[in-house]
Amino acid sequence: MSVRADTLVAVPGRVSRRRREALTGIGLLLPSVALVLAFTIFPVGYNVWLGFYAKHSLRATSAWVGLGNYTQILADPDFWRSVWLATVYAVMSTALQIVVGVAGALILHRRFAGCDFLRGVALFPYMIPTVIAVFVWRWLMNDLYGVIPYVLGALRIPGMPEAWLTHSTIMWVLIVLSVWTFFPFVLVNVLARLQTIPLELYDAARVDGASTVRQFVHITLPQLRNVLLIVLLLRGIWMFTKFDVPWLLGFGGGAGEAIRTLPVFTYQRSFTYYQAGMGAALSNVMLALLLMAVTIYFVAFPPEADETDG
Amino acid sequence: MAERSSRGRRGSRRPVSSAAEWTLRIGLFVFCAFPLYWMLVSSLKVSHELLASPPTFWPHEWDLRAYRKLFYETNFWKYFQNTIVVSAITTVIVVTAGVIGAYSLTRYAFPGRTLVARMTLLAYMFPPIIMLVPLFLLAREFGLVNSLLGLALTYISFALPYALWILRAFFQSIPVELEHAALIDGANRAQALCYVVAPLALPGIIATAIFTFIVAWNDFLFALVLIGRDELKTLAIGINDFFHMAVVDWGLIMAAGVMVTIPALVFFVAIQRYLIAGWGAGGVKG
Repeated sequence: MSVRADTLVAVPGRVSRRRREALTGIGLLLPSVALVLAFTIFPVGYNVWLGFYAKHSLRATSAWVGLGNYTQILADPDFWRSVWLATVYAVMSTALQIVVGVAGALILHRRFAGCDFLRGVALFPYMIPTVIAVFVWRWLMNDLYGVIPYVLGALRIPGMPEAWLTHSTIMWVLIVLSVWTFFPFVLVNVLARLQTIPLELYDAARVDGASTVRQFVHITLPQLRNVLLIVLLLRGIWMFTKFDVPWLLGFGGGAGEAIRTLPVFTYQRSFTYYQAGMGAALSNVMLALLLMAVTIYFVAFPPEADETDG
Repeated sequence: MAERSSRGRRGSRRPVSSAAEWTLRIGLFVFCAFPLYWMLVSSLKVSHELLASPPTFWPHEWDLRAYRKLFYETNFWKYFQNTIVVSAITTVIVVTAGVIGAYSLTRYAFPGRTLVARMTLLAYMFPPIIMLVPLFLLAREFGLVNSLLGLALTYISFALPYALWILRAFFQSIPVELEHAALIDGANRAQALCYVVAPLALPGIIATAIFTFIVAWNDFLFALVLIGRDELKTLAIGINDFFHMAVVDWGLIMAAGVMVTIPALVFFVAIQRYLIAGWGAGGVKG
């Protein structure tokens, strides 16, 4: 990367030219940096500061409470429950997205009649607005008129509940719907990587008599390692902090109480109870968890050469 | 198993698919497409058939009632226009700043360049919920509540970092020697960017524009907290309101879903080529 840049810059013996290049580069980057500073970095800093205040979301009143918000959060059983629910949701939906995404990528990897069409169809759940996806699934799973409960009943599959959007089963609906919506992200990233695996590796394995399953375990999986790790990190973070899907499925009340994950809890603190300081503190807790996850991730799996492929 | 797979490998020339493979493909198709099919037929059923038990998989009677209601009795068209305005503002700002910024990141040497690149990756991971309270309070402070511009500015906060990240990857894949050659032939830097780099980066720029547009088009959270006036609502929160009417009209909601999905579908098929190119470089956030 730096080599490339230097080949354009390097005119031997002209230091001032080099400095001018650097200044131009910085100048061109300035609009982006200014926008990111103003709309990402500054709000995050402001949020850290807000976390030390008791502040009403709509009124101008605010009072310094130091770590008061945080001690209150840590003592709140509802907070711990929301962390637990967000963890269950993130772990289950991420794991299933990866399984379905990899399976989908393997199905679509080889060309066949209608391959391009099916690739397009498989991406589509990711493209439709979340509101639509959630409402369609609410309709599919509707307690009275839903087609999926009807089909499951007609097939006489044992152990299926009568109604799905209830306290005990709504988490499953949330997970399945999230897998449906977000697995294409995994599929596309894995598919892109699959296409770059040299076929010779498989030829060699076949000469040695390796079965399809062994080829997958010993060739495909190791090649997919890096892309799967980055996808796991991104999806894990985004599922843990997903607000719109659990909110639109349950609105945080009624049966939705069973899917009141940490982001939903944060939203309700900020905009149902108007405790902006508390909401900010909860966001900071999420940010700290996120930074911890990223740090652990990069210590456990140091980036390799093609890490950015994902 | 081994036998089928050996046929499969050579299959890049002559594809021979087994019944098991077709079963899997059909399974994937049904999983992805059935909810969308169900949305479509539900929007076209008459009221009593919509709520019939058992449900009908192919409507006995077709009805456009839901669509008439959508266009004549709700503000759907207004929501549609608002969403397009917000998404367009976001896309123009993000793509312009992103292209210039990514060009700088890949073509100029200056201190802090690697740090900026790493920060964009970190910001790409940032979940929007973390920005909820500060962006809301700042928008109130600057009078940007109930403003489409204010909404677009918040989308920049999470669209720009990943636009920079994706565009940087695209620019890195364009050999710098091509520009070098142009410079030797007497072109200046701006000409090299316009005539050499931009055409080669075009698929990446289009992909980035699409992803940015989708981020703004799909957002629910910020529209929910920043927009209260009905005539300024975007599709996401407008459709959410349909759900909170006294009686939930599922036909109406499904019709709204179809009307939002069809333009996306047409658009999507038209630009699929670019989309796949962009996916390889990171994919849309969400």
